[in-house]
Amino acid sequence: MSGPGGAAQEGRPVYSISAVARMLDVPVATLRTWEDRYGQVVPARNASGHRLFSRYQVEQLAFVRAQMSEGASAADAHRLLAERAETGLPLTPPPARPAPRLLILLAESDPYAAEFEEYFLTTEGFEVAVALGEDAARDAFASAAPAAVILEVLISGGEGLALCRCFRKQAGVAIIVVSAVDVTEQAFDAGADAFLRKPLDPLQLVSTVRDLLRSSAFLAR
Amino acid sequence: MTDSRLRSGHQPLDDVLGGGLPANGISIIMGLPGTGKTIIAQQYTFRNASPDRPAVYFSTLSEPLEKILRFGQTLSFFDTSAVGTSVFYEDLGLVAGRDGLAGVGDHVTAVLKQRRPGLVVIDSFKALRVLAADNAEFRQFLHQLAGRLTAFPAASLWVGEYEADEIALSPEFAVADAIVELATVPLGQREQRFLSVRKLRGSGFLSGRHGYRLAPEGLHLFPRLADIPAAGSYSLGDHRIPSGIPGLDPMLGGGLWPGACTMVAGPSGSGKTVMGLHFIFGGAQHGEPGVIATLQENPTQLQRMLGGLGWPIDHPAVEFMYRSPVDIYIDQWVYELLETVERTGARRVLLDSLLDVRAAAVEETRFQEFMYSLVQRFSRQGISLLTTYELPSFATGQNPPGVDMSHLSDNVITIDYHHDHGTLKRSLAIVKTRASGHTTDICEFRISPDGITLNGTATSGVEPAPGTGA
Repeated sequence: MSGPGGAAQEGRPVYSISAVARMLDVPVATLRTWEDRYGQVVPARNASGHRLFSRYQVEQLAFVRAQMSEGASAADAHRLLAERAETGLPLTPPPARPAPRLLILLAESDPYAAEFEEYFLTTEGFEVAVALGEDAARDAFASAAPAAVILEVLISGGEGLALCRCFRKQAGVAIIVVSAVDVTEQAFDAGADAFLRKPLDPLQLVSTVRDLLRSSAFLAR
Repeated sequence: MTDSRLRSGHQPLDDVLGGGLPANGISIIMGLPGTGKTIIAQQYTFRNASPDRPAVYFSTLSEPLEKILRFGQTLSFFDTSAVGTSVFYEDLGLVAGRDGLAGVGDHVTAVLKQRRPGLVVIDSFKALRVLAADNAEFRQFLHQLAGRLTAFPAASLWVGEYEADEIALSPEFAVADAIVELATVPLGQREQRFLSVRKLRGSGFLSGRHGYRLAPEGLHLFPRLADIPAAGSYSLGDHRIPSGIPGLDPMLGGGLWPGACTMVAGPSGSGKTVMGLHFIFGGAQHGEPGVIATLQENPTQLQRMLGGLGWPIDHPAVEFMYRSPVDIYIDQWVYELLETVERTGARRVLLDSLLDVRAAAVEETRFQEFMYSLVQRFSRQGISLLTTYELPSFATGQNPPGVDMSHLSDNVITIDYHHDHGTLKRSLAIVKTRASGHTTDICEFRISPDGITLNGTATSGVEPAPGTGA
């Protein structure tokens, strides 16, 4: 069946440059330099010109970073990346590693969506706190100190982006804004690290959370 | 979703649905028993299921699951190796009987979590209604189930034995993103199957009734031929072509325009088909391949007729397409005709006869729409069409009474009999030519082993067409 879960999902622009910088521990300026100098990992741009990276591009950059950590120069690392692309070799497969029990705050407006999201994140080893309103979300955010927040734009009649701006002030938390409406640009302007369109594909939801928490087995290798 | 459409694997059906059913939506497949609802649902199931994104097929309280499986295996697309890996069948009726509607909702949710399907079929959905104590309970169940299915990235097909008037009354139709109706319509002593799209959110669709047949390969749809008027102009040849009918071209002002539609109307046995055969074989002689699409003469009858006139039935430039007018599906027939024309590169088509097409089209408006589309398609491609129309005897030279094809035809030729000293003689007249002048003579003709021979020549001269100066 065509749809989520396949290569198309891997190629869809999801992550802001600051989120990628945090994931890979590479400065934003360095990512821009690599893009200009080597032209191999070129993110899409939204209407405002913000860079949007796909999951595959994050994996490419992780490959570059891994090569550099083993002593290669940035130029050599990009050359190795190009060779991989030419030969069709896959980027190094991830070693299996269980995800740590990190807390995810699920700030949802739709109880049915929350039920599925909670289930899929829980089965992948995350702890999940569900809040079905703005106040509950603020309380949970303050008291539970989640590692990541999944935030529905329409929570409490449309307070999602305001909440995003508020949560963004706290450094270190990963924020994924979700909505059935394509508000990618507004989400990034509000400080989101990633935007996912509903209905959420279970695989993409989990992989996005993992990536942002650097608990993706591949990215954390 | 990168692909927001659920495809059936049958292109004509996807075309009618503007690309397919909503991939993340709820679609209702409705129709009375025997219309093929389960077949089309299984078609979608096997077309879309994969190990990563399986399909779950729930039977309910209508048809036992075993029966669905047993008959499913008679369909060519039923892949037994996919069952249990990509396609999962479950008896929701057992859950419904044990735990009621609440149990149904919970079980569907559990299966969504466990299987993570891309497609969920509930067959029959209507049967679940009896589990509700009242409308309020059913609406509550519906709201919850729709909420769960909307929150999950899967297409959902609700199959039900609904009748058309239930669309306005049953709440599930308000929830649905798409409604596809399958119906069997009595036509005299026979029946025809029609598919109609009653609702489709987020996309345009081809409206109206589309004929379909059920076969081991699944539902075979023939989209209603309903061409809109050509948006732009198109160019036709600027040289007239010979009609192929001896002596007729001077009466037409020099022949036919390529792409023209010519109707020959007259009583039985007056020579309409022979005139059409002249048109086809005369064209073939001039390098224009032709198709004889007949609902009249079967191959044996036509062979005898052609033999008598000295034409071979296996002429390399002439394709013969005979279909019995009994139980004909007009839409299927026209797609076969269009395919034959395309395959053979035909430049001329004889359609014998309009009366049969009209009978098969059932309704006058349908016949008009259908013929308009066909004439337009052929005209745009410069393919010349000759149609025959059988009428009771009438005065030669008058527009045929009761023939609503006249306005769609560029040329109208009428044939009739008259008595001449105890002998029945044939005569023809041209009552209409478009963008051309024509004579106003009534011209006698005879049919011999050499075909049609016009007696004498036109005497009145060609009247110019308005504005043509011809």
